[in-house]
Amino acid sequence: MPDFTDNLRPSQPDGPTTLARERQKSNIATEELGQHLLGSDGFLVRQARILPIIQQEPLFSKDQQQNLSRPERFKLGVARAKLLRQMKDTHKWSHLEYQMAEYLVDDVSPYFLHMEMFITTIREQASEEQQAHWLPLIELWKIIGAYAQTELGHGSNVRGLELEARWDNRTKEFVLHSPTLTASKWWNGSLGRLANHAIVVAQLLLPDPSSPDQYVSHGPHPFIVQVRDMKTHQPLNGIVVGDIGPKYGYITMDNAYMLFDQFRIPHSAMLSRYSKVDLNTGIYTKPEKPALVYGSLTYVRSNMVHRARLVLARAVTVAVRYSSVRRQFQDRDGDKTGPEMSVLDYPTVQIRILPLLATTFALHYTGLAMQTVYKNARQDIEEGNFNSLAHMHSMSSGLKSLCTIFAADGIETCRRAMGGHGFGGGSGLIQVNNDYLSKPTVEGDNWMITQQVAAYVIKKMTAAVGSPDTPGIDETDARFKEFIRNKRRPESEKRTYDILNSDLDIVKSFELRATAMASSTKLIRVIKKRNWNSLLIQLHKLSRAQSESIIVATFFDALSNDKTLSAPTKNVLWDCYRLFALYSMENESFEFLRTNAVSQTDLDSLASRVQDLMARIRPHAVTLVDSWMIPDYLLDSALGRYDGRVYEDLFNRAHRLNPLNRITFNPNYWEDEIVKGSGDNGRGILSKL
Amino acid sequence: MPSPPPDWVKALKPSGPQGSELLHQERAQSNVDVERLSELLHTKETLERRASLLALLQPEKVFDKSQNHSLGRVERLQRSLAKAKRLQQLAEEHKWSMQELHAANDLIGEPTPYGLHASMFLVTLREQGTPEQHKLFLERAEKYEIIGCYAQTELGHGSNVRGLETTATWNSNDKTFTINSPTLTASKWWIGSLGRTANHAVVMAQLFIDGKNYGPHPFVVQVRDLETHQPLDNVYVGDIGPKFGYNTMDNGFLLFNNVKIPHVNMLARFCQVDKETNQYAKPAMPSLVFGTMTWVRANIVLDAGGVLARGVTIATRYCAVRRQFQDRDADPHAGETQVLNYKMVQVRLLPLLASMYALHFTGRGMMRLYEENQSRMKAASSPDQESRGAGPEQLRAGANLLADLHATSCGLKALASTTAGEGLEICRRACGGHGYSSYSGIGPAYADYLPTLTWEGDNYMLTQQVARYLLKSARAVLAGKPARNDTSQILQAYLDRRDKGASFDVLDEDKDIVAAFGWRTAHLTFEALKHRDAEQRSWNSLLVDFWRLSTAHSQYLMVKNFYEAVSSPELSGALDPETKGLMHQLFRLFSLHTLEREAAEFFSSGAVTVRQITLTRTTAVLKLLDDIRPHAVRLVDAWAIPDWQLDSSLGRYDGKVYEDLFRRASEENPVNELVFDPYPWNSALLKNEPAKSKL
Repeated sequence: MPDFTDNLRPSQPDGPTTLARERQKSNIATEELGQHLLGSDGFLVRQARILPIIQQEPLFSKDQQQNLSRPERFKLGVARAKLLRQMKDTHKWSHLEYQMAEYLVDDVSPYFLHMEMFITTIREQASEEQQAHWLPLIELWKIIGAYAQTELGHGSNVRGLELEARWDNRTKEFVLHSPTLTASKWWNGSLGRLANHAIVVAQLLLPDPSSPDQYVSHGPHPFIVQVRDMKTHQPLNGIVVGDIGPKYGYITMDNAYMLFDQFRIPHSAMLSRYSKVDLNTGIYTKPEKPALVYGSLTYVRSNMVHRARLVLARAVTVAVRYSSVRRQFQDRDGDKTGPEMSVLDYPTVQIRILPLLATTFALHYTGLAMQTVYKNARQDIEEGNFNSLAHMHSMSSGLKSLCTIFAADGIETCRRAMGGHGFGGGSGLIQVNNDYLSKPTVEGDNWMITQQVAAYVIKKMTAAVGSPDTPGIDETDARFKEFIRNKRRPESEKRTYDILNSDLDIVKSFELRATAMASSTKLIRVIKKRNWNSLLIQLHKLSRAQSESIIVATFFDALSNDKTLSAPTKNVLWDCYRLFALYSMENESFEFLRTNAVSQTDLDSLASRVQDLMARIRPHAVTLVDSWMIPDYLLDSALGRYDGRVYEDLFNRAHRLNPLNRITFNPNYWEDEIVKGSGDNGRGILSKL
Repeated sequence: MPSPPPDWVKALKPSGPQGSELLHQERAQSNVDVERLSELLHTKETLERRASLLALLQPEKVFDKSQNHSLGRVERLQRSLAKAKRLQQLAEEHKWSMQELHAANDLIGEPTPYGLHASMFLVTLREQGTPEQHKLFLERAEKYEIIGCYAQTELGHGSNVRGLETTATWNSNDKTFTINSPTLTASKWWIGSLGRTANHAVVMAQLFIDGKNYGPHPFVVQVRDLETHQPLDNVYVGDIGPKFGYNTMDNGFLLFNNVKIPHVNMLARFCQVDKETNQYAKPAMPSLVFGTMTWVRANIVLDAGGVLARGVTIATRYCAVRRQFQDRDADPHAGETQVLNYKMVQVRLLPLLASMYALHFTGRGMMRLYEENQSRMKAASSPDQESRGAGPEQLRAGANLLADLHATSCGLKALASTTAGEGLEICRRACGGHGYSSYSGIGPAYADYLPTLTWEGDNYMLTQQVARYLLKSARAVLAGKPARNDTSQILQAYLDRRDKGASFDVLDEDKDIVAAFGWRTAHLTFEALKHRDAEQRSWNSLLVDFWRLSTAHSQYLMVKNFYEAVSSPELSGALDPETKGLMHQLFRLFSLHTLEREAAEFFSSGAVTVRQITLTRTTAVLKLLDDIRPHAVRLVDAWAIPDWQLDSSLGRYDGKVYEDLFRRASEENPVNELVFDPYPWNSALLKNEPAKSKL
C-alpha cells in the first residue's frame, strides 16, 4: 500500500555513497585476497554456483523466521533440511556442494548428527561386519540416526555416565537400563523428534568371571540401538524419548532426552572394532590403544577451530560496514558544519572492531595449520605411530577453547559496538550469536579442557628439565630446553625482545611468556606439590598463553612464507598481524612484564602503537571485510548489506515484513480484549494455557 | 501439551546425593543470618510486600510462564499485553503504589507493552509539564485514558540528541507547531510501547521558530485514534520487528507528514514559545532537561545489582548441586566433586557474587545523592512560583550536586550495566551445557537485559562525559582551587605525594585499597590532561584513554561506596559480627580481583608493586575464594529472589534441578506434540497432522 513514507530518503551522505568512498580509498585487491583466503579448495566457485539456486527457493527465504514459535521454527528447519537433502540428489551435488548449501541457508541441520557423529562413529568404531550391515542403511538414509552420550547429570566426564548395558549371558543380549533420572540421555541432537536409531553410550556391565552373580563395570561403550518404530515413528516400548525444550539458540535442532526401562538389544548392537564381548563366554577384550577413542573428538575440535574464522568474519563484516555508514556526533576539534562523523573513525569503536578484524586472519591461518596437524597425525596413527597424538590433542583442546571464545565474544562485541540497532533483528547477528554461543561449552567446556593443555605442557617441561642439553625432539621440547639453558646464563647476556620493531621478536616474546609460565607452573606443581585444584586458574592462563603463542607464530609464518599476495595487501596483513599480537599483549601485559618477555618501556608504548596500527588499517577496513566474500543472503543483515542501504532495509523489515503490524491492539486495560474487534475478551490468548 | 511420561519414568530419582541434600549441607555449613542480611539489603517492608504480591500473582493463569520461550513473537506480545492489563486491573483493585506496581512487574519478569507509559511517559509529563499540561495530559495518562511513550531516538540517531532530524516548526499565524519527518532516518525508532499500544507520544523534535533552530524539545503528540486505535492521518507508526530480547515489548517506529499540534502540546515547564510575542524563553538551566535521564541511570545502577544477583543465584545453587569429575589429588573412591569446589568455577562466580553486593551498595549511594539533590531543588523553589515554572535563582543551589551526580552517574551506569550484562553471560557459561537451555533462566534474562548496555547513551560514548569532568577538576586543582569534593581531594592527594610515592598496603589495609584506586584514577587523569593540554592531542585520538579513565574512576567509586557501606554503623548494627566480617571479605574480593585484572594500570601508576600484584594473584584472591566458598549459597539466599521470579530449573531454592528440567522438557514442551516423518523424500512433514503444514 503506497503511503507518504515511500518518498522518504535517508539523510545524506547515505550508505551507498559512504561505502563507495570507503572502497575507493583502499588499494586492497579484494578479489585477490578473497582467493588467497577461500579460493584454494574451490570454496568461492561453489559459493557462486550454489547461492542463486538456494535463493530461488521460497522455503529458504529468511524473512519470517525470527517471528516463529519454537514448534513452527523447528518445523521450518526440518522442511528445509529435507528439501536440501532432496536437492542434493536433483542437482547431483557433491558433499562439499551440499555443505555449501547448508552454510548459506544457515540453519543448524536437524539431521546434523545423522550426517556427522552417527556415521563417523560407525565408521570408526564398528567392526567390519557391522559396517557392512549399517553403512549402506545410513548412506541411503534408510535409517536416521543420532549420537547419545551425555546425560542429564553428566557432561564432559564420560566415565561418570549412568546408563547401564548389562550382559545377559542366558539370552545373549544386553539390557539397557536407566537406573536414575540423571541417567537420562540429554542434549543429544537429532534425536528429540527425528532419529529412529542412535549410538547410545552406556556403562558396559559384565559378569565377574570369578563370581558370576557379580557384575563388573568396564566403562562406557557405544551401542547401536533402534529407538523409534519405522512405521509410526513412535518410541519403542521401554524407551521414553523427546525434545528437551527451548534453548538459547539451536532452535532448529531437536536435542533430546532418552530413558530406557530394561530394554533388550542383541549382542551385535555393541560396536566392536576395538572392544568386544565374547558371545559365548561374556568375556571382555580390551582395545590395544584406548586413546584412539578420542580421535573423533579431536576431529570435531579441530573443525571448530577452522570454522571460527568465517563466523567471526561474518560479524566483523556487518560491524565494519554499518560503522562506516552510521554517523554520530561531530568531531569536537573539527569543523562543526559538516556531517556527523562515521563512527568507525572513533578510536573507541575501532578498538572494539579492528582487533577482531585482525583476529579473523589470525584464525584463518591457525585453522589451516590445525587442519594440517590433524591430517598428519591421522596419517601417523594409521601407520601405527602414536607419537603425535598427545601434541595434536593438546593443541586442538587449547585452540578450540581460545578460538571459539574469540569468535563467540567477538560476535557479541561487534553486536554491541553497533549500538541500539545491533540489538534488532535487522543486525543479522542474533541467530548466529545464539547458535554460536553453544560452542564455548560444547565438545569440552572451554575452561575444563584447558587442563589437558596444561597437563601436556607440564609433562613436556618436566621431560625437558631432565635433559636440557640434549637436542630437542620436537619444537616445543627444543624451545623449553633453550629456555632452561638460557636461565643459567648471566643477566648481562640476556636480551629483551624488540617487539615494536621486529615482527619476529613478537613471536619470540609470546613464546618466552608461554615457556616461562610453563616453567613456573611446573615448578609449583611438580616440585612444590601444590594441589591441582588450587592451580586451575593458573593452568587456564598457561593454556591461553600457549595457544596465543601458537596463533601468533602461525600468523607470522604464513605471512613470511607467502609468495602470492601483492605488496599493498600484504602490508596491510602485516599490520593486522601486529595489531592482533600487540593488542593481545596489551590485554595480558602484566604476564609479559613478569616473565621479562617485554620491557617496561615497550609496554608503556603499547597503547599508542595499537592506536597507530588501527589508524593504518582503518582505511582498508571495508575492503578487508569485502575480501571474506560473505554474500548478503548469508549475512541476512540490514546493517551489513554490501550496498550500504542500511536504513532503507531496516525500514522495509519493520514496515513490510513485520507480521505484528497486521494486528491492531485494544490498549484499554479495563477491557480484556487484546486484538481489536476480535471480541473474545482475551480468551484466544489464554486458551492455550 | 504432550501426555505425561509413564509411571516407570515418574518413579525415577536423580542419582545421589540429591540436590536438596547438597543445598541443605551448603546451608548447614554457614551461619550467615540470611534473614537479617535480606532485611539490610531490601528492608523488611519490601520483602513483605513482595511476598504478598507473589501470593496474589502466581496463581493467576494469565501470568503463567511455562510457554514464554516456545511462543512466536506475535503471540508472545499479545500475551504480554494481557499480563499488563491484568496487572493494571490488580493495581486499581488493590490500590497499588508505583513501587508495588514496579515490584509486581519484576516478579512477572518481562517487560510489558505498558512499560514506557508507566515510566518515561508519566515521568516526563510530570517533570516537564506545566500545571495546565498536567491537567490536560498527566491526569488522563495516570488513569490510562491516554497511553503514551517517549519518542526520542531515531533510525539514524541514538545517543546524540542534538543530531535528531524530526522538526517542530512554530506557526505564528495559527499558534500551532508542525511536526515533520524530513527524511527516512528521521523516523523515530526503538520507541518502547509505541509499536502497537500507545496512542500518544512525547516526541523530541528540533524546534524551529522563524527559521532558527533552538535544539531538541519535547512535544505531546497524539498518534492513534482513541476509538479505532488506527494511526491518525499523516502519522505512520508500527512495531520495528523481532529483536535479540525484549520481544514482549512493542518497540516502535514513527513518522510524521506535517502534522499540526496546538501550542499547549509543547511541554513548557523549562522552556516555552511565547504565544503572543513568538519569542523563545530560554531554559533556566539546560542541564535540568537531563534530570529524567539521571534518574533513569541511578535506577539502572541499582537494578544492575539485582539483575546480576539473579544470574549468580542460579549459577551458585546449580554449581553446588552439579558434580563433575573427581579431584585429581583426592581419594579415587570419593564421589564426583561439586563443581563449586573447582577454583576455576569459583574465580568466575565468587567475584560476581561480590560484584552484586558492590553494585547494590553503590546504587544505594547514588540514590541517596539523587534524592538529596531533589530535596535541595524543592527547597529552592517555593510553591507559589510553581505556576510560572522555577526560575534560575531557585535552581542553582542544587546545580553543583547535579553536575557531580550527572558525571558520576553516567560512568557508573556504564560500568554497572556492563558488569551485570557480562556477568550474566559468565554465569550462564559457568553452568556448562545446561546453561544453554532456556530453562536455565539465565539466557532469557540476559537477552532482555542487553539493551541496557546501549540505551540511554551507549556505554562507550558516556565515558567521555566522565573524562571531561575529571579533566576540568584536574585543571582546577592545578590552578590552586581548594579541593572541596571527593574528586578534587583524590587529585590533590596524588599531587601531594607524587614525588614521594604511594606505598599502599593493599594486602592488609582496607582503606589503602580505596586509596590505591583513587591514586590510579588521579594518575590516569593527569596523564590524560598532559596529552590534551600540554601535548595538544586531539579529543578524538584520546577517546580510548578517556574510556579507560572513566572505567578506572567508576571502579574507584564502587570500591569507595562498598567500603563505606561495609564500614557503616548501619551495617554493623544490622548484622552479627561474623556476617559483617564476610561483607568485608566480599569487599576485598571485589577490590583485589578488580585490581588484579587491571594490574598493568595499578603497576604503571605506581599505586602498587609487581610483587604485590603477584601476591594478590597467587595468594590473596585464592585465600578469599576459600574463605567465602562455604557461605556462597547463603549469600545468594540473602537476596531472597523467589523461585517464581527466577523461573529457572537450575537455580531452584530446593535444589531439585534435574527433576524440574525433566518435567519441563517432557510436559511443558510443545515440540513433543509433533510426530515427524523423518525421511527427506517423504514430503509430509508430520505424521500426526493430517492437514498440510502451514509452512
